[in-house]
Amino acid sequence: MSATETRSGSTEEKSDKWLDAYRDPVASLYTFTQCITLADIQADGDWKLIIADLGTGMFNMKLKVYKGTNLMSENTIIDLPTGVVTFYMDLNEPRTPAIAVASGPYIYIYKNLRPYFKFTLPQIEVNAVEEDLWNQMKDSSINVYVLREMLEGMRADGTQLTVRSLRFLQLQDGADMVAFAELYKHTPLKKQTVITCLGTMKKSMAEEDAISCLVIGTESKYIYVLDPEAFTVLATRPLPSVPVFLSVTGMFDVEYRIVASCRNGCVYTLKRGTTDTDKSCIELNSQPVGLERIGKTIYVGCMDETLQCFTSKGKKLWTVQVPASITTIEVLDYKNKGLKAVLVALSNCEVHIYKEKYLVDIIKTDSVVTGMRFGRFGREEGALIMTTRGGGLIIKILKRNVVFEERDLIGGPPAAQNVKLNIPKKTKLFVDQTMRERENAVAMHRTFQRDLYLLRLRAAREYAKALDKSMNPISSDPTEPLKLAAQVQGIGPVFKMTVNLQNTSLSQASVNLLITFDFDDKLYNFKKTYIPVPMLVPGLNYSFETFIECLSDKGVSDNVKVYVLKEGKSIPIITGVISMPVSETLVVV
Amino acid sequence: MDPLFLACSYFRRRKYQQCVDICTQLLEKNPYDQAAWTLKTRALTGQVYVDEVDVDEEGIAEMMDDNVIANCARPGTSLRLPGTGHGVPSQGVRPMSQSGRPLSGFVRPGTQGGRPGTMEQAIRTPRTAHTARPVTSASGRYVRLGTASMLSTPDGPFINLARLNFSKYATRPNLAKALFEYIFHHENDVRNALELAALATEACQFKDWWWKVQLAKCYFRLGMYRDAEKQLKSALKQQEMVDTFLYLCKVCVRLDQPLLAVEIYKQGLEKFPGEITLLAGMARIYEGMNNMDSAVSYYKDVLRFDNMHVEAIACIATHHFYTDQPEVALKFYRRLLQMGVYNAELFNNLGLCCFYAQQYDMTLNCFERALSLGEEQTLSDVWYNIGHVALGIGDMTLAYQCFRLTLANNNDHPEAYNNLGVLELRKGHVDMARAFFQAAYVIAPHMYEPHYNWAALSDQLGDLQSSYNAAKRAVDAFPNHVDSKELLKQLKHHFSLL
Repeated sequence: MSATETRSGSTEEKSDKWLDAYRDPVASLYTFTQCITLADIQADGDWKLIIADLGTGMFNMKLKVYKGTNLMSENTIIDLPTGVVTFYMDLNEPRTPAIAVASGPYIYIYKNLRPYFKFTLPQIEVNAVEEDLWNQMKDSSINVYVLREMLEGMRADGTQLTVRSLRFLQLQDGADMVAFAELYKHTPLKKQTVITCLGTMKKSMAEEDAISCLVIGTESKYIYVLDPEAFTVLATRPLPSVPVFLSVTGMFDVEYRIVASCRNGCVYTLKRGTTDTDKSCIELNSQPVGLERIGKTIYVGCMDETLQCFTSKGKKLWTVQVPASITTIEVLDYKNKGLKAVLVALSNCEVHIYKEKYLVDIIKTDSVVTGMRFGRFGREEGALIMTTRGGGLIIKILKRNVVFEERDLIGGPPAAQNVKLNIPKKTKLFVDQTMRERENAVAMHRTFQRDLYLLRLRAAREYAKALDKSMNPISSDPTEPLKLAAQVQGIGPVFKMTVNLQNTSLSQASVNLLITFDFDDKLYNFKKTYIPVPMLVPGLNYSFETFIECLSDKGVSDNVKVYVLKEGKSIPIITGVISMPVSETLVVV
Repeated sequence: MDPLFLACSYFRRRKYQQCVDICTQLLEKNPYDQAAWTLKTRALTGQVYVDEVDVDEEGIAEMMDDNVIANCARPGTSLRLPGTGHGVPSQGVRPMSQSGRPLSGFVRPGTQGGRPGTMEQAIRTPRTAHTARPVTSASGRYVRLGTASMLSTPDGPFINLARLNFSKYATRPNLAKALFEYIFHHENDVRNALELAALATEACQFKDWWWKVQLAKCYFRLGMYRDAEKQLKSALKQQEMVDTFLYLCKVCVRLDQPLLAVEIYKQGLEKFPGEITLLAGMARIYEGMNNMDSAVSYYKDVLRFDNMHVEAIACIATHHFYTDQPEVALKFYRRLLQMGVYNAELFNNLGLCCFYAQQYDMTLNCFERALSLGEEQTLSDVWYNIGHVALGIGDMTLAYQCFRLTLANNNDHPEAYNNLGVLELRKGHVDMARAFFQAAYVIAPHMYEPHYNWAALSDQLGDLQSSYNAAKRAVDAFPNHVDSKELLKQLKHHFSLL
């Protein structure tokens, strides 16, 4: 009882590091970590929660801004959002940051919650053959079937086609193809890429509200750095694979470092001035599902249920196995206490908090957490925003006096050690008796000793008597070490008696033994009254059986004795006494 | 003197045989003397009368009945699945009976054998033991306890049931009640008794509560508990009687509805405040549900109204003994002694209490008395306890002899086998120790000690498979046994390394 209480007590103890600020399980938010951010967008010291809601995935995509727990504004987004960041794009007072939403090939900039600017990624060169084909189509020199066949061939060769060609190839019906080609053949062929991830980087100042550049990862395996004022591309960095998570530090004009984890399971580090990406490449053994940086260490959550930690040079520090697959990870940076940890959301509805490689806390939620953001919300420094797979929104606040102990939860003395044992109080009676004992100690001791001698004598006499009569079920003769156990089964009038004999010696076999019974012949009839025993091998259990019939129907019973005898000796080696059960009679009720 | 008056006097003085003899003479003179006939029936019944409320024998066949409402009852609502309980010391401190319930301080029907949960357990119970269950409650011990029908009488039975016209007797209440009791108790013929009761209750237009209770008694014997419940409830509506409440609770217990039984006891107590049979019944049910705190508080209530109640005193004493207050237990047992209870069991308990309360000068004296008073079965337990005292003072030879004497008196004493095994192991006789542990756990699979000892020994000898199996059995018997769990964990770790 007490043990279970302590266990439940300790789980409550874990969660007491967090206050439950808000919980709405039906907020109908469908979003991920990249699309949640916290910012003081009105420069009034009240930090807002900005969420790009993916809606149903097809329509209803919204940019939602929460002030406290109330929805403050809602803007429709045309395509699926892939990332939301806030950044300062100018030096105007009041210092209101802009919101950048990445969606498709565009970045929509919102200022004061109003659409402000749309940036389009530079176009990619269209494959010459493809362009030529569409030009021929425009001139009607080929029909749709030829076009389809040619495009099909190009795709099979591994050429990256434009969106228009891919859509065209999806069409099956000839009429549809003609209509599609007629509709689009006059517009120039464009090839655009899609933004996969979005980050910010300070341009030349390190202040909190300094002007920042946008860092964009695209499906075309490039990373672009955008100038925030003119919206021109400042730098274009190629990568060997498609980046999916970005972590940016430093300043563009001074020194920066972009860590990008890519779809091929590698983490690349880009620095100012270097072009060689392969040198500082971390090869993971599984696909990354999250990437975070704390200081000079890189934390990567992988699909193989591990959280891995690397130095910025790519040396692996440690790997922690987590109990379920990771859905997302997030940094807990609580500046008031200088506390830095990694939050790891798992598919078993838990959020584990790791400080270094030690699990310091577990938050249990009622659904799988898919998006997390820790930061300042409202006027509270340490707020944790979590969105769940079921569309719920949970907001927790880190207690200000919280201390995460940097040790394994498993180690250390068990909690049961602190439970007070229920020892009954010593009664007054006990004290009185102790007084008596103290006063008459000598007399008591003498009586006890005398009685003890008498008892020893009595026990020895009885023991000798029992040995004489061999009344024991265990032999005390060192030459014949035997053990007997007899059982009666059945409900009568016929019983079955099983006699188990075991030779308990180490090496000595027993021979020339036999079993016989002592019983009242008016009451019982034994089928076998004599059982010869074969040689008994040490350690094995031998069982012998006989049937007994009860001759009386008066509901009486008697004891039956089992003797194990040695041939040529009249005194039994061992005896078993069995009190027979009462035989059931046929009583008509 | 008028012979009938003399017979009545004998009957009142419970000299039933003399009463029967006089009545027989009177009936020889005048076979139609109703007064003599009634008196003789009552005298014959009185000879074998057993209070039906206290007889609670559950046979093996009763396990197969389907009257139990919930097969998987929630803990704390069933007697079959005693919950963790309140105020019960762990199994390591207070030994358990086979049914997983702490040993009671007072032997009454159903406390010793307990109710094994499964058929297999019931069959495997060594039927040689004194606690063997009869097959059905309809046969077996009822026959022995409450009937004389088996004893042949020289000139045929007093009343030939087959030739009785029940409907004639049913209309005469003065004859019918005596006749019913005769049939039920003396002849143990429940079917005919039921027929008579049914006719009689009809004859009095269902207005006599007594007949309803008798009908319920018959139904109960026949295993028709729901019908019995109906009759008893109807009887209670007409006339509230302590007996009826007790019967109703008995039915509830048989239906495995302890909470309902407690409810009924409480209703009864409202009507009859301070009725000790009701209070004691309540305490027994709480004891059965492992709720020792409540049980002890009700037993204390019993003592408030009847300070000579042996069962209450004994149960409270046992509770104190096992909750580490032997000096308090000693006081209660001394009370029993003052009341005139003078048997081996009491002296045995007194001796143990004295020993653990450090009153050494009286300890062995008590055991001596217990030995001289005891019969074979109790002797074995007395020797076993002396063995424990010997272990306590470190006299291993005496302990060994005592445990051997225990076995000489009772071949199926698992605790003694287990302790002998430990002693043999200390001497280094590994094979003997193995044999003893094996014997102990075969006899008493519900004890965790031999399983654990066997496991620990096998582990030392390198027989990891047996060790694992035995440790698992130990954990089954006592889920909170730390050493067994530790061993199991070690073995699992070891196996996974291979």
